[in-house]
Amino acid sequence: MTKPVIEVSALAKSFGDNHVLKDITEKVEPGQVIVVIGPSGGGKSTFIRCLNLLETPTSGKVAFEGQDLTTLDQKSVNKLREKMGMVFQGFNLFPNMTVLENIKLAPMKVKHVDDATATKRAHELLQRVGLDDHADAFPTSLSGGQAQRVAIARALAMDPKVMLFDEPTSALDPEMVGEVLNIMQELAKEGMTMVVVTHEMGFAKSVGDRIWFMADGYIQENNTPEQFFAHPETDRAKDFLSKILM
Amino acid sequence: MKKKIGLLLVIVVALVLTFVPLGQTNTQSAQAADNSLEKIQKKGVLVMGTSPDYPPYEFQATVNGKSAIVGMDVYIGQQVAKDLGVKLKVKSMSFDSLLVALQTGKIDMIISGMNPTPARRKNVSFTKAYYQGGYDIVINKTDKNKYKNKDSFGGGTLGAQTGTTQYNAAKNQTKNTSVKGMTSQSDLILALQSHKIDGVAMEKPSAEAYVANNKQLAAIPAGFSMSSSATKSAIAFRKGSTSLVNKVNKTVDKIKKENLVKKEYLPKAGKYLKTNTVNTSMFHYWKAFLTGIEYTLIITVCSVFFGFIIGILLALARMAKGNIFKNLLRWISTAYVEFIRGTPMMVQVMFVYFGLGIFVNLPALTSGIIAISLNSGAYVAEYIRGGINSVNIGQTEAARSLGMSNGETMRYVVLPQALKNIWPSLGNEFITLIKDSSIVSIIGVTELIYQSNIVRSDTYRGVAPIVVIMVLYFILTFTASRILNHFERKMQHD
Repeated sequence: MTKPVIEVSALAKSFGDNHVLKDITEKVEPGQVIVVIGPSGGGKSTFIRCLNLLETPTSGKVAFEGQDLTTLDQKSVNKLREKMGMVFQGFNLFPNMTVLENIKLAPMKVKHVDDATATKRAHELLQRVGLDDHADAFPTSLSGGQAQRVAIARALAMDPKVMLFDEPTSALDPEMVGEVLNIMQELAKEGMTMVVVTHEMGFAKSVGDRIWFMADGYIQENNTPEQFFAHPETDRAKDFLSKILM
Repeated sequence: MKKKIGLLLVIVVALVLTFVPLGQTNTQSAQAADNSLEKIQKKGVLVMGTSPDYPPYEFQATVNGKSAIVGMDVYIGQQVAKDLGVKLKVKSMSFDSLLVALQTGKIDMIISGMNPTPARRKNVSFTKAYYQGGYDIVINKTDKNKYKNKDSFGGGTLGAQTGTTQYNAAKNQTKNTSVKGMTSQSDLILALQSHKIDGVAMEKPSAEAYVANNKQLAAIPAGFSMSSSATKSAIAFRKGSTSLVNKVNKTVDKIKKENLVKKEYLPKAGKYLKTNTVNTSMFHYWKAFLTGIEYTLIITVCSVFFGFIIGILLALARMAKGNIFKNLLRWISTAYVEFIRGTPMMVQVMFVYFGLGIFVNLPALTSGIIAISLNSGAYVAEYIRGGINSVNIGQTEAARSLGMSNGETMRYVVLPQALKNIWPSLGNEFITLIKDSSIVSIIGVTELIYQSNIVRSDTYRGVAPIVVIMVLYFILTFTASRILNHFERKMQHD
């Protein structure tokens, strides 16, 4: 058996009196695509942001490749974050840089890759997301779908072991959702380990290896997509599924 | 006699003294009592402080094509130095700054038409008086038949330099006459010529100089009743410099015995006054204005540069949070920003020049740049803090998720965007600095305002130099704002 990439145990997170995550213990195996679904306000985003310590857990452990992030110093956390790419709902591209510069920045400043190598790699990634002709454009001139594809390329530029997606298509116009999901699907096919918070049930069904159903600060169900969508076990999940259009 | 004991300076000195252990200054002057003469002779240089805007006592003139300080006080200084067997160095600064400069060791003596009043005697040692003056009232020539002396101005207005002996005399010794005070002699003459006031009380030699150079003016005797000590000029040395004062008194005796002031010094100074005012066209003084622009730009550019660095450091310190050290840092920078914003820049400039002067002898230009940078830094810090807060938190999260450290995130992602957001405010600060740099004229930095004052007192023309520097300032600020706009457009991507 291989070592889990991410291992979460007894994770809890509160903002003041608001206990968003209560007690979460789960594992992500290499190559797995985990899709986290559940009602809004259930703690999905907080959970995925705890995985790379954008939120500091109140208690519990978050281990990446066996190392507990919550006990490490800032420098080591920065180092481990390189291996966990993250894609945000709001893209968060750097508006003052071109598409190419957005992708090159972290490899050059953090990994000290030379300019030529970084440029070459950035063009490869842009080709992969189908946007090489936009390399010199500024983010504001891009559509939402294009911006999110650049954001994915930017995260991939650090050669991460895991990709975290925090509602990557929620801010997109419906006709642009497909282009982003396609890229994610290709990534999954290539064997990338992924944790995806999403409301795209179609994607969850066809791409996910496991569905983590999250509500009220707990992972209520951890199952295969087939099992989960056909035979949800908890009332909470049944209720959720009955409310969404499939 | 002349001008005020700057109230502001008294405050600064008080401040300086609270920051400096009292014992130190005391021992300094106590030691000076013994070896003041020896020390000067050993140094080989005698630094004389003077305020060269008071012809014929001291003023700027063009000597062999170069601007130099001349006047009867300078010739007295030269005689004193000669008798001591040392070289004379003349340092110019505003009259208000002279006493503090002497006490803080920036200069060794003051010869600037200074009157040895009891109040001043408390702080410095005076030699015997080298000159006994008197007072005139300068009037418009057309009024010559109307006024006879100080008592003829009933119902009218007399002008005098604020804080001077003649100002107090005009106030106390006239009836039904209102007295208007201004800081500069040239402004008073201007007011006289535009009939805002009816006469200007001033010292005889000055009055004579104005009348000789301006055909529309005339002088009448003032007729103030004064003790003779109020019309004397003497040389000031650091308190307790007995040996030095005794030695210099011999020179003063000689000058008085041979009547050198009237016979030699005043005519010599008058000659410069003539050459000085032969050509009062502003073009004739282009070199003076050019120097002014040069120094204004040096001060502004250096202050903007250092102010920006200080501003960034302060802004980051103000946002530090976490352990005790960081909280302390935040507290200190917040206090600093509040304090600097809550005190006048003028006081800060004087504090740096005179206050730090006790520990390190900084030249006026350096002091000015330091003070203005420190001041500007506080304002820039607030702009930068606002700019950093205006950058979406998502930008920081994206950068951190890519493995960038806090510092790298700040440097490569947040600050460039913050800078773009606050560019208009920073540009504003830059343009304000071009104008505010004029404050360092009080410590004798030859920037535009200072130079224009010199030109005004040289040419006896009130308005023309003001118009010239107004235009020059506008050219500077307008050019600066064009350049800033260019960069603002370049940063515009959205």
